[in-house]
Amino acid sequence: MTETSVRGRASRERNGLGALIAFAALTVLATAVLVPLAFTALNGFKELGELQAHPFALPRSWVWRNYWDILAGARYWTVLGNSLLLAVLTVSLTVALSAMAAFTFAHLRFFGDRFLFSYIMLGLLFPLATAIIPIFIRVRDLGLLDSYWGVVLPQVAFSMAMSVLLLRTAFRQLPYELLDAAMMDGCGYFRYFLFITLPLSGPVLSTVAVIAFVDSWNGYLLPLIIFNSESRYPWTLGLMAYQGQYSTSWQLVLAFITLTILPAVLMFLMAQRYIVAGLTAGAVRG
Amino acid sequence: MTIRAFVLSAACLAALIAPALADTTVTVLHVSENPAQTALWDKIAADYNAAHKGVNVQMKYLENEAFKAKLPTMLQSDSRPDLFYSWAGGVMQAQDKAGFLKDISADMASVDPTLSPTAVEAFKVGGKQVGAPFEVGEVAFYYNKKLFEKASVKAEDVKSWDDFLGAVKTLKAAGITPLVVGAGDKWPMHFYYSYLVMRLGGEHALADAKAGKDGGFKSPVFVEAGKKLRELAALEPFQPGYLQTKHGESAGVFGDGKAAMDLMGQWLLGMQAPNSASGKGLAEEDIGILSFPVVPGGKGKATDTLGGINGWLVSKSAPPEAVDFLKFFSQEKYAKEAADKAAYIPVVKGAEASFTNPLFKRLAGDLAATTYHQNYFDQDLGPSLGRVINDVSVAVAAGEMTPEAAAAAIQEAADQQ
Amino acid sequence: MTEPGAVSAVAGDHRVRSPAAGAPAADGRRRMTLNGWATVAVFLPPALLVFTVFVFLPVVEAGWYGFFNWDGYGRPEKVIGLKNYEWLFSNPAFQRALVNNGLIIAVSLLVQLPLALGVAVLIAGRMRGAVVFRLIFFLPYVLADVAAGLIWRFMLDGSYGIPSLFTDMLGLQPFYLLASKDWAFSAVLIVTVWKYFGFHMMLYIAGLQGIDKEVLEAAKMDGASPWQRFRHITLPLLGPMIRLSIFFSVIGALKFFDMIVPLTGGGPFNTTHTMVSFLYYFGLTRMRIGFGSAVGVVLFVICVTFAFGYQRLVMRDD
Repeated sequence: MTETSVRGRASRERNGLGALIAFAALTVLATAVLVPLAFTALNGFKELGELQAHPFALPRSWVWRNYWDILAGARYWTVLGNSLLLAVLTVSLTVALSAMAAFTFAHLRFFGDRFLFSYIMLGLLFPLATAIIPIFIRVRDLGLLDSYWGVVLPQVAFSMAMSVLLLRTAFRQLPYELLDAAMMDGCGYFRYFLFITLPLSGPVLSTVAVIAFVDSWNGYLLPLIIFNSESRYPWTLGLMAYQGQYSTSWQLVLAFITLTILPAVLMFLMAQRYIVAGLTAGAVRG
Repeated sequence: MTIRAFVLSAACLAALIAPALADTTVTVLHVSENPAQTALWDKIAADYNAAHKGVNVQMKYLENEAFKAKLPTMLQSDSRPDLFYSWAGGVMQAQDKAGFLKDISADMASVDPTLSPTAVEAFKVGGKQVGAPFEVGEVAFYYNKKLFEKASVKAEDVKSWDDFLGAVKTLKAAGITPLVVGAGDKWPMHFYYSYLVMRLGGEHALADAKAGKDGGFKSPVFVEAGKKLRELAALEPFQPGYLQTKHGESAGVFGDGKAAMDLMGQWLLGMQAPNSASGKGLAEEDIGILSFPVVPGGKGKATDTLGGINGWLVSKSAPPEAVDFLKFFSQEKYAKEAADKAAYIPVVKGAEASFTNPLFKRLAGDLAATTYHQNYFDQDLGPSLGRVINDVSVAVAAGEMTPEAAAAAIQEAADQQ
Repeated sequence: MTEPGAVSAVAGDHRVRSPAAGAPAADGRRRMTLNGWATVAVFLPPALLVFTVFVFLPVVEAGWYGFFNWDGYGRPEKVIGLKNYEWLFSNPAFQRALVNNGLIIAVSLLVQLPLALGVAVLIAGRMRGAVVFRLIFFLPYVLADVAAGLIWRFMLDGSYGIPSLFTDMLGLQPFYLLASKDWAFSAVLIVTVWKYFGFHMMLYIAGLQGIDKEVLEAAKMDGASPWQRFRHITLPLLGPMIRLSIFFSVIGALKFFDMIVPLTGGGPFNTTHTMVSFLYYFGLTRMRIGFGSAVGVVLFVICVTFAFGYQRLVMRDD
């Protein structure tokens, strides 16, 4: 046996123990993180009074009806569909516009480029809530009130800053030799963008998509101000049915929320698979 | 969906709603999810639609906070409601100042005499009527009869502030939590402060303060009210952790029989059972009503009442059918039905006779016989001052703020308006 | 197979290369060609248009409201100049809010980010159950704030929640964390870490997965220990992402708001406000839109100052 493989075996054993400790630590952390989420779901099985008096205990009797009533009602599926539509439109548009803009900032130098980049970065620095009235006036004057685009466009605008920043950083990290080589082969920027930059940026594109998705999925103030038709309400507004002037049916609120997390979770899992695929693709690159 | 299918279904949809478009639509926006209330309102709307072909009255619901957040922008768009729910007070005045409300004084002249005068007055701004009231409420002490018995406290004997403090001490000595309050939401605590101001300063106290007389909100009445509140709170009469208890939870505490008294509005009766841990709450025979005590030397009377006045406001662009619906709504027969179903306490005179529920009967009787009815301070004063009063009520009770500082804070907010 | 001008495994600027004729500038960007201009003309305007119409213009208008005393109804009429700013800086709740924002920044940088980085390093690869862990740690970020605030309110309740576990065990009186003037904000900090470390973890994972595995393999072959590999290869290559994460963290901390409403409502006694929750409670809900806009402008100025300074000093090469 050579010296290298002996050392290799010892380090494998060391890694084995290290991996075990890491796994244990992660499991403990995961449990701590999951407890509040588990209780969100569990509390959906209680009646209101029990929830308020014993929020941190297992349900004494499992009120399946809470969840069942929600799932069997048309409202859940309508609001879910609306939320999904809004989120998909927001994500597609955000990724498309931000990737294009980020690519420009990453590779091209022209008069005013730094100014324009800082301009877009301003979007990071202002919370949506402060500008809600002017946004309402804008959307109204554009005739987009009570329409999906009236919510999607402002959401895309506000997500843009973070996305452009993330994507520009990632695009810059790709080796420039690729661009040189491509240029020399007569490839233009468009094709480079479509066939090289985007495929190689899987992980960060997925991340941007997931973040934009979650932000849209949980959006409340904007849909509230823009939508008037109940048929267009996303789930955050659909929640209102359980909230009263003086009293809120918290158990139904929690059950409802538990059921609405699922699509966001699915989105995450889909994005994760793409990241893993991106990993494999990277390994055979070059 | 293919383009063709989409166009086809859009055409079908248009065909379906075309007849409806020929009608005049009247949208009525409200915040109630009380099933008794909403059922009655749906019925009134249906009755009106049946009697008036060509008009379609639609009831729409928005959750309370969402309603308040959305109304300012909604009123500036084409989708503004024709009639909308209101708590009168400062918000209504702001809406009128911005030109969003319609003057219906002439239209309502025939209906107003049938309604309680205080309620009608509440919906006037600068002498002109902008809405029609339909509901009035009262804040009073709801007490647990069994717990009172246990501590040998007699409700009839609690008349003055000192009697009240005595009762609190007796209850505490008997191991019973005297009061429950949802101070986590702040506004329940401001009921104490408001009543003390009313009992000390009488019916002109608030109006004088608003006008800036005698130091405005820094007047001795307000400072003294703060002192009395602190006096009460110093006895530690509230449930443990009261500063973080929300209103819903507090209703549950009362429903579970864990506290003797709750100073609250009439909706408590509908809330105490579903919010209680047992799910059953207190039986209504075990609940009694006690009016807020009189403060000796104060100008307020025992028959002065604090409570909400709710009604419908009419938006400027509303069609005449909307005002007509309002008159239809205010008919005595519907008010009697509301009383009968204990949906709410109507403002139509004489309606209290229709109440079968003894507790509601008592409240309605108080309101009919009231010498001075005051809208909730935090509605009357508008959202900015209102929130300050809520904040300082809790701060004073908890000993975090002196009564003088509290009064000064309210005045400062008034100056900044 | 390594590419020409391959990445150097030495810490430092991995983009060092020998310049050739007509080569790009030091930051990799090249002189403009016709193709370049065409790209700019097509790629940039859509984003700029949407951004200008729906962010820039509304923000400017919102800032303009800051000079008015306005309740949100109708149009702003009552000009009061800088009075809003005077009132807000003398407001003790706002002063406390500034302090609170600082605390969130501190906790984010000292606790949240290292935690996120550590976890990311462990699960970025293909260890067993990595995807499950990633999902679990990311879930708090996905959960809507109304639910997160609500559940944590129950969890931190003095009579029934976690504090009661301790007080019961030790035989003490129940401790009402969320009603305590001094300790309520620590609840906010705990929930912040819980909710957002998963977000930063995601950023780091994306960054880690962009690192060329061959470099790490080569170092492993040369006998570098895991810690050495981390310190000299991973960390520097992750540099841009870390700097970005810090940037988002600080900006996010300054804009922190959504959790405060369901968890503490800014209480008790206005000790748990952040600038934006102060804006919401003291501006929007009290129908003092002008006042709220003034707070927004102050927040904006602070953010811009930080962003500008950070870009200049830290992110020069990114």
